[in-house]
Amino acid sequence: MKLSTKKVGKSLAALAAISLLSSSIAFAQDKTYKIGAAVYGLKGQYMQNWVREIKEHPAVKDGTVQLTVFDGNYDAMTQNNQIETMVTQHYDAIIFVPIDTKAGVATVTQAQISGVPVIASNTKVASANVPFIGNDDVEGGRLQAQAMVDKLHGKGTVAIIQGPIGQSAQIDRQKGEIEVLLKNPQIKIIEMKTANWSRAEALTLTEDWLNAHPNGGISGIISQNDDMALGALQAIKSRGLSPNDVPVTAIDGMPDAIQAAKKGEVITFLQDAQAQSQGALDMALRTLVGKDYKPQSTIWERYAKDVKWGEGTDKVYILPWVPVTGTNADALYTQVTGTK
Amino acid sequence: MNTKLLATPAPAPVSTNTNARARLRYALDRFGLPLVFILLCLVMAFASEYFMTWRNWMDILRQTSINGILAVGMTYVILTKGIDLSVGSILAFSGLCSALVATQGYGLLAAVSAGMFAGAMLGVINGFMVANLTIPPFVATLGMLSVARGMTFILNDGSPVTDLPENFLALGIGKFGPIGIPIIIFAVVALIFWMVLRYTTYGRYIYAVGGNEKSARTSGIGVRKVTFSVYVVSGLLAGLAGVVLAARTTSALPQAGGSYELDAIAAVVIGGTSLSGGTGSIVGTLFGALLIGVINNGLNLLGVSSYYQQVAKGLIIVLAVLIDVWRKKKR
Repeated sequence: MKLSTKKVGKSLAALAAISLLSSSIAFAQDKTYKIGAAVYGLKGQYMQNWVREIKEHPAVKDGTVQLTVFDGNYDAMTQNNQIETMVTQHYDAIIFVPIDTKAGVATVTQAQISGVPVIASNTKVASANVPFIGNDDVEGGRLQAQAMVDKLHGKGTVAIIQGPIGQSAQIDRQKGEIEVLLKNPQIKIIEMKTANWSRAEALTLTEDWLNAHPNGGISGIISQNDDMALGALQAIKSRGLSPNDVPVTAIDGMPDAIQAAKKGEVITFLQDAQAQSQGALDMALRTLVGKDYKPQSTIWERYAKDVKWGEGTDKVYILPWVPVTGTNADALYTQVTGTK
Repeated sequence: MNTKLLATPAPAPVSTNTNARARLRYALDRFGLPLVFILLCLVMAFASEYFMTWRNWMDILRQTSINGILAVGMTYVILTKGIDLSVGSILAFSGLCSALVATQGYGLLAAVSAGMFAGAMLGVINGFMVANLTIPPFVATLGMLSVARGMTFILNDGSPVTDLPENFLALGIGKFGPIGIPIIIFAVVALIFWMVLRYTTYGRYIYAVGGNEKSARTSGIGVRKVTFSVYVVSGLLAGLAGVVLAARTTSALPQAGGSYELDAIAAVVIGGTSLSGGTGSIVGTLFGALLIGVINNGLNLLGVSSYYQQVAKGLIIVLAVLIDVWRKKKR
């Protein structure tokens, strides 16, 4: 409901802008751009943050960009339809957060042929011609596995809670995890099963695992996202164990997990939704405005050490994972929840 | 006359024979599922030494409690030949309502009541659509599945409600003596709704409406009222389940309960309640829910892939209905 009323508001604003433009065509140097963001789904907190942040981009706030957000409802076909609609409606550029790296390739190529630039954010599109900004999930997997290895001093038995099998994030994160764990032969993977990104499912699964391997049979749990890690943490606590007995590592940096990390109950790494969304918009504007465009988001400054804007035409901008620690937890929590 | 009848010798052996067969069928009808359940438990006990531990059983019961509460309400609905597809969404909506009230500091009683009230109200709408507007239950509750889910996201802008007070969390993670509170809630719910169904006129009416609506109507039963009421019951229990789930996961998540309606329906159907209404019981549903719980738990203990878990559950559902179909044909 909220989205649709906003959309109505935006199309009204667009109409107003068009009439303004036609009346003052001589001064029309400050062109407005119609940009669409096709995100895979708005039911999770992460994409909600992503959308909130892109709306805070200076170019959206000053009206240079008229942004419309499309909710893909976790379905590749829905997303493809939305991109086709945007092309038909002559959007100037599309920012795409795909549910799957491959499912959108054909549609995206079609959009590019029609002259609509597409920027991928958060998840890559498996096509060399689509610029990408986001975190490297393989690296994320490596980081969380390495954190577990360090915590266990290189020795022990671990269980891995997987995301939905076959999703890009699950595949890549696991690739990184396995890579690190194989380098540490003293660490054994004794359980590996999906909990579909769900806290409730991970809770049940961990309860059962703790029964199947009692008395310290599981030394640590690697969870491929934060929500599942919190479910595992719940199971560990209600078993009367402490997170020190069975450490849990995760990635994403959701608000609840940042709070837990502050207390030292989980180890997690933040991927910055603001950097992914606002960075993508800067990249889109660079292709539309030309080489005079200077990026406007603060994120380029924040990550200046790891990511260089350069000419703004790089094909890949890889953002760093930020370890959540006791000292930065409060600041990150404020950043992630948008409370100012 | 009487003596004469008793004296006729011929049919006696035949009748004992059919009696025995009828008795066997009756026994299978009644104890078939518990038998399967016990067999499954035995297999699991041999396969994993941890299956038969007190701790594991407490976990199974706790894990079953949410689906069990939903399934009890679903039994009422299915007995009237209806279906309620919206329980998962109602669960999420009620959980969020309840958590919001709890975080505003209104106290435990207000929070739980808010959750159950929200669930019951959505149930009232379901009941109105089915009983008064005569929309087929499948369609009416399918609509509610979508509406209630959307409302859940609107309610808190898609974010979970966290930082719930301790006394609220106790509903999910607390214990009363050695037994988890969700298990106790589940047990109380099952007991109450079993007694209502079995020992009250209202209970009889539910069977009557599902068994033969026309004759129920001609014998003066308020069919519309009864039909209306079962959706309220289902909504109310979905609300309660939502409260317990929010407490169990220490936060009310707007995406909680996705496809929970399918597990609830599965429990009812495995438990021998007929989708065509009129026959079934709460006890059967309890065994159905426990069977699903044991399968999930057992396969987790054995480290079997969740792919097989889904296959196993699907096969058992189909088998359960197949048995039901055969049973009817033989009669």
